Parts: sequence; structure tokens; C-alpha cells
Amino acid sequence: MNKAQDYSTDGAEHHHPAAPMVEEITDFEVLEIAVRELAIERGLFTAEDHRRFTEFAESVGPAGGSRLVAKIWTDPAFKARAMENPVKACLEIGIDWSKPTGFGTPSDYTHLTILEDTPTLHHVVCCTLCSCYPRPLLGMSPEWYRTTNYRRRLVRWPRQILAEFGLILPPEVEVRVEDSNQKCRFIVLPVRPAGTENWTEKQLAEIVTRDCMIGVALPRPGRTTDVHPIQKARRPVHSSSAQCERHSHERSLQ
Amino acid sequence: MSARSNVDFSRIALLEAIRSQENTWDVLAPRYGVTNPNPPWKTSLTAMCDCLDVSGALPTLDRRRAEDELAEAVYSDVPAPESQLLALAHTMLNRGLVSEGELASHMRIVRSRLEAV
Repeated sequence: MNKAQDYSTDGAEHHHPAAPMVEEITDFEVLEIAVRELAIERGLFTAEDHRRFTEFAESVGPAGGSRLVAKIWTDPAFKARAMENPVKACLEIGIDWSKPTGFGTPSDYTHLTILEDTPTLHHVVCCTLCSCYPRPLLGMSPEWYRTTNYRRRLVRWPRQILAEFGLILPPEVEVRVEDSNQKCRFIVLPVRPAGTENWTEKQLAEIVTRDCMIGVALPRPGRTTDVHPIQKARRPVHSSSAQCERHSHERSLQ
Repeated sequence: MSARSNVDFSRIALLEAIRSQENTWDVLAPRYGVTNPNPPWKTSLTAMCDCLDVSGALPTLDRRRAEDELAEAVYSDVPAPESQLLALAHTMLNRGLVSEGELASHMRIVRSRLEAV
């Protein structure tokens, strides 16, 4: 038996190796605590408020969105309800947009739209103002989503940005960018990929990753994570440059 | 794009001292073999921003505008989420929600508490 095996179930030895930790207290850590405690002292919020929002932040992730998409793909009646009233339909998969305050977080709510892709229409979501994001369904936004690089350029050159994510769409596919704001949130409903016929909801949910629901990736069988081992390109090409050229060409034709 | 935030870009000595230590998570984590992409205080920071929004003390849109501008003008060499934290503290100091003196003093108290044995 491996020494690292957990023997705790029989009350015997417990040999987990300790996970590595950063063993120094940085001023950033101290600053975060100090600002928070002073805000609490001022009465700006309470420690209980903070605990609740921390719990909320740590409890949300993209799994809810994956379940929503998978259920829409497999259940036409649910799809009809979801497209009609997405927030209400989310309750059916255990996502309550009113948490944690009873009316959501002020920065998360109040209108959700499901953007349905088709073979000739692709949606991608951003927030040009700040970083509005459907947190109850997708969890916390990725850092790149918050950058001005993504936010400014996506609305101008969506194909270029998508190509930088490795998503190159043919010219016949229209790309539509939806700009979130404090009261309107969006999630992309990708086209169900071929090769997933007869799959269960659980199987389907596994290939609907966060990036697919933002619109910077497409679901496909075998792709169950947004993080992949890097594979050597067989025909290296700067895809975004190629897209730029195509984009310029398209514009010149208009 | 959004309107300007009216944030004051003047450097704040306390925050400059913190920034200059260059012990951001992207430096520390590999040094200790830690693979978590975010420091342990990141979720707490997110929750604090939500709380400030809920209370009306610092609405999200104001905070994010200021954060964007400060990230470009003052903290451009600081990675996230440290830049987000510095920008939040900077904005709160600007707005008088806390003062630099009391923040420095409270940081000393917090550090002594965390280092207590």
C-alpha cells in the first residue's frame, strides 16, 4: 500500500502528505483583511453579510450552466420553458437566481437571456462596461473576461478574438456579440454537436464547458475541459492574423 | 465604453509600499509549489466587493470603472487579483470610506494578529 493512502476510516494512521502552502503572510493578504474589517467597523456591511457572499462565491461554478444546456438539448418541453423564462427554468435544475439575498446580488440580476446558436449563427458574450457575467450559472468570471483587451476588441473584431481562442468560424456563420450589463445577463446555447445522439444529460453536460457558454469555444465529444495539454500544430499558422486578413477582405467587399 | 470614474490617480504611499514588495501570488505560488491559481483571499475580496455594492457604499459599476482606469494608469505592472485589491483600496481611500492613516494602523494590528504564536 502506498504510504499516502488514507487509513482514517478505521481510525488508524492518517498519512496524507500535506498540500503545499504559501508559508508567508503577504501585505496583500493583510491589506484585504484590514480593508474589510474597517468597512465592517464603519457599518458598511456586516461580517455575516461577508460570510454569506463568500459562501455564494465559492458555491457557484459552471456546472449549473452545463446542466441547463444539456437539459435544453434533451428535453424540448424544458427548452420551451427555458427560452420563455430562463430564470424560472433555472429553478428546475437547482439554480436560484435570487440567492444569496432573496433578490440576487445587485451586480448579478435581473434579466437572463439564452442565446441560441444555429448552424449559421454564433453568439459570444462580453461586458464592455465592466465584467457582468451570469455568475449563478457560470460561477466567477475568468480573468481574461475582465480585461479591457477582450471587452474592447470583441465588439469590434469578434472573429479575430475568437481566432485567438482557437475558434475559427467559416464566413457563412454570422457572429453576434451580446453586451451584458448590470441588469441583463446572457448565456450561449451552443448547437448540440454531432456524435452525441443517445447521450445522457450527464454525458452532454460534461462537454458543455464554461467557454462554450461564453461563446469562445464549441462543445464537441471528447472535449470536457477548457484546459488542454498543448498539442504541436501540424500546420503552424497565426490564426488570428489569417482572420484579420479575412476580416479586412470581407470589409473591403462591403 | 463607460464614462470616466473621477478617480484620483495620485500615488498613495501605503499602497505603493505594498506594491513594491513584488510578492504577488504569481511569484509566491510557484516558489512554494502551490498550484491554486488564486490566492486564498481572492474569494473574500470578491465577497467584499459584493457587500460594498449591496450596501450602496461603492456600487459595482463605479468600482469597476475605477479599477479599469487605475489598472491602466497606476497599477499596470501588478497582476490580478492584486491589482484589483490595490484598486479597491485606492478607490475607498479616494472616497473617504477609510483613511490612509487608519488603514496603515489597522494593517499593523492585523499582521500582529496573524503572526501571533
